[in-house]
Amino acid sequence: MKKLWCSLLISSMCIGLLSGCGKENGETPSGTQEGKAETETTEKSADLSAIYSGELEKDVTIRVLENDTAIAEGYFQEVIDAFNEAYADYGIVAVDANMDQYSNLADDGPYGYGPDVLYQANDVLMKYVEGKHIYPIPAQNLESYDKIPQTAWDAYKTVIDGVTYYMGVPVNVQSSMLYYRKDMLPENWETEWDKNGNKIPDMVENWNDMYRYSQSIVDKGEGKFGYMRSMYDVYFSSGFLFSYGAYVFGDQNTNAEDIGFSAGNAEIGANVLLQQAGLMNEDCIDDSVTVSAYSKLADGTYFATMTTPDVKSLFLKELAMVYENEGMSADEAKAKAEENLVVTDVPRLPASGDLTEENPELIPLKAMGGVNGYAISAYTKAPNACLAFVEFATNYDMIMKRHETLGIVPARSDAAEAAGGISEIMYHNLDEGNIVVMPSIRAVEQIWTPAQTFFQDLAKDAFRTSDKKYGSLEQIKAGLEAVDKQIYDAVHTLATN
Amino acid sequence: MKDGVKKNTSEKWGKNVKLSMCLMGLGQFFYGQIGRGLCYLAILLLAVVYFVYRGFSDLIGLFTLGTKEADTWLGLEGDNSVVMLLMGILSVIALLFFVFCYLSNIKDAYETQKLCERGGHPAKFKEDLKQFLDKKFYKTVLFLPIVGVCVFNILPIIFMILIAFTNYGGNIVPPKLVDWVGIDNFVQIATLSQFAPTFGRILIWNLIWAAVSTAVNYFAGLGLALLLNKECVKGKAFWRAFPMLAYAVPGFITLLGFKFMFSYGGPINQIITDMGYRAVGFLDIDAKWIARGIGFAVNAWISVPSIMLLATGILSNRDASQMESAKIDGANAFQQFRHITLPFVLFSTTPVLISQFIGNFNNFGIFFFLRGGLYIDGYFLASDTDLLINWLYNLSISNNYYNVGATISLVIFMITSFISLLIYTRSSSYREEDTFR
Repeated sequence: MKKLWCSLLISSMCIGLLSGCGKENGETPSGTQEGKAETETTEKSADLSAIYSGELEKDVTIRVLENDTAIAEGYFQEVIDAFNEAYADYGIVAVDANMDQYSNLADDGPYGYGPDVLYQANDVLMKYVEGKHIYPIPAQNLESYDKIPQTAWDAYKTVIDGVTYYMGVPVNVQSSMLYYRKDMLPENWETEWDKNGNKIPDMVENWNDMYRYSQSIVDKGEGKFGYMRSMYDVYFSSGFLFSYGAYVFGDQNTNAEDIGFSAGNAEIGANVLLQQAGLMNEDCIDDSVTVSAYSKLADGTYFATMTTPDVKSLFLKELAMVYENEGMSADEAKAKAEENLVVTDVPRLPASGDLTEENPELIPLKAMGGVNGYAISAYTKAPNACLAFVEFATNYDMIMKRHETLGIVPARSDAAEAAGGISEIMYHNLDEGNIVVMPSIRAVEQIWTPAQTFFQDLAKDAFRTSDKKYGSLEQIKAGLEAVDKQIYDAVHTLATN
Repeated sequence: MKDGVKKNTSEKWGKNVKLSMCLMGLGQFFYGQIGRGLCYLAILLLAVVYFVYRGFSDLIGLFTLGTKEADTWLGLEGDNSVVMLLMGILSVIALLFFVFCYLSNIKDAYETQKLCERGGHPAKFKEDLKQFLDKKFYKTVLFLPIVGVCVFNILPIIFMILIAFTNYGGNIVPPKLVDWVGIDNFVQIATLSQFAPTFGRILIWNLIWAAVSTAVNYFAGLGLALLLNKECVKGKAFWRAFPMLAYAVPGFITLLGFKFMFSYGGPINQIITDMGYRAVGFLDIDAKWIARGIGFAVNAWISVPSIMLLATGILSNRDASQMESAKIDGANAFQQFRHITLPFVLFSTTPVLISQFIGNFNNFGIFFFLRGGLYIDGYFLASDTDLLINWLYNLSISNNYYNVGATISLVIFMITSFISLLIYTRSSSYREEDTFR
């Protein structure tokens, strides 16, 4: 049976290849625009039909690599149980690949050890494209295609020999959100801190008011702070640069020759970070704030911080614990924690970059983000069954279940809308282009250390007394240019090919 | 003259020896050594089968490293250069093994010939087998370890060395085909203008680090052992347990613990700020020598217990009467240590000292965990606490440039082996080896 399938697959591949050759030789009319478009479409479908025959392989086991949280929280078991039940007639069984969630398909796949289906972040999955370790997905044929914004699909887009392929199916979006304590707002916030009267405190709507409020907290001298965040973290700090024209790589994050952390007016964004650091303590230089943010937001040392939405439960747990220690029952503490901890969109930035400016023109913060999704290993023996699994796991019901169990932000518009709250905000940000999705090329691995060093140095500068390194925008710009050069060196110096 | 040589050779190599040259084991057959002959013949057959079925193609693959690139999307199976390199090395080892067996087969036939000329009789198979449990027992017991060393030790080392002469890495990883590039990688490293200043700086710091941390660990361990060896110390086992606790905790956990302790939000800065002072950036971007100092201390915390244990064992063999005589002769404690204890311990521990030096020279973990993720001005993709091994990691592994990694590893190997040999050949352990025999 296997041999029969192999023969069929090879025959269809040959047909696909031959048909591709025929078109290049001009056997089909391609002189007109319509002709060209038709050729491209035919080529695409021909190539993918060589991989996906459309007939499900029978009696096969597909190994699925999921992330640890999905396994630990029981979501993964639910999805494979439901899938196995739905495809029982074909004898297709999905099982846990039982591998490390960060395992490298490029290392294992060629030797037959990798999973058949992988759930990983876009930058991880797209590393596999160069060696063709994953199969392209017939995205347009999927039920979810129109429901997922193009920005999310773009994270999985690659162009090979002029043909566009989508290498994964977006499942959820990850980016920054602002966490703050509602009960730490000033009592008169509705009259004094809500200039536009929209019932949302100004300090969580724009960074200038956040700065002003942080200043007022610090000035009290009680050892408390307003907004706190570890500055070295590129994931959260780079958004301030992107908002003023910086980018990671040129040509929509595909050209590693063009590195743009210093592009546009990035130095203005870096200066915003410098101003913010001035109202924090030295903990913002290293990872101390990241480590202690849960407990310090809970005990009231910090008013607000910025992090990803998937850690909300950890903040809630810490805050509930504080309330319990104050004498509340577990249920009361939980309810109060949920009431007082607010997760919302990140504040808007002043166009001038001056956090002390009154009534500034505001621009959105373009935060760095990622899109996790499913991909299919090119080493699988059952691509059609794998595709069926991916389609099943990305349908509306499964994505909603994933959202309910794991608190993820769905990449599907219908699921994001139904989920509401953070999901809707983040989906909107993604759709509006306010989330800069992490580049999907291998060179992205080299951005972290140089950028992290710069942000750490910048934060440290806020506490230097006589020997400040970033006293002017020109000096900041020079620092950012050094970051670009370091990244360029890291990517290209040793490249022999 | 030529005829003379020919005559001698002709006399030297009898008919059976020549038969063994033509066909492995044939000479042995003619000597009536059927079992031995069959063994040699079996080796020949195995070699032929292996080389016909894959050895020969593996050998060719070692030179080509593949000619057909795989394309998973088109279902085209191609060559895996890395596997071909590995199998090629194996085929060379197999070829060398076969040549060794072939020569041993000739040597064996020749020795049997000489034995017969002396009036002896060729050994029977049973006698051969008995020999492997008696006189040649060392061969029996060493056979498997030698195979193990070849497969698990020599093969990876040769593999790593050969990688330095390929373009394996970056974008050239299977299924793409890897190629031989000669000494291009060495030339590239030697000619990169950015490399030289950073290499010099890091090498100097690396040598200081290796020498100082080895000395600190060694003398602290020895000092602790001497202290806990003193008769006046009560509850020695109890006190010895404390350093052992530090030794028992996995190194990277200890390092992460220390990183937290010295961080801005850690307990040490907490105490400092509670006392009214400003927090100190022990490991931050400006903390060059403070961070280096912390590295020495943390490394000592991890390494001193093992030296202490070693020294405790060696000190138990110390000649007490020698110490007693020195005391009677008026030597003070330092003089006793300087002239008796230290030479005695040094003699036994020089190889350990060298291994400690090499270990510290290549100590990847200390600064990777304590102060990783920094590139400092004036250094090319490195920080001022990075050792060569950390720099190697930044340059190659995190970039997947395995070829460059292998090249720099070879350079590091040359440096460390030169220093090790220099120290060892000048040490009393080497020069006075016979003294204690």
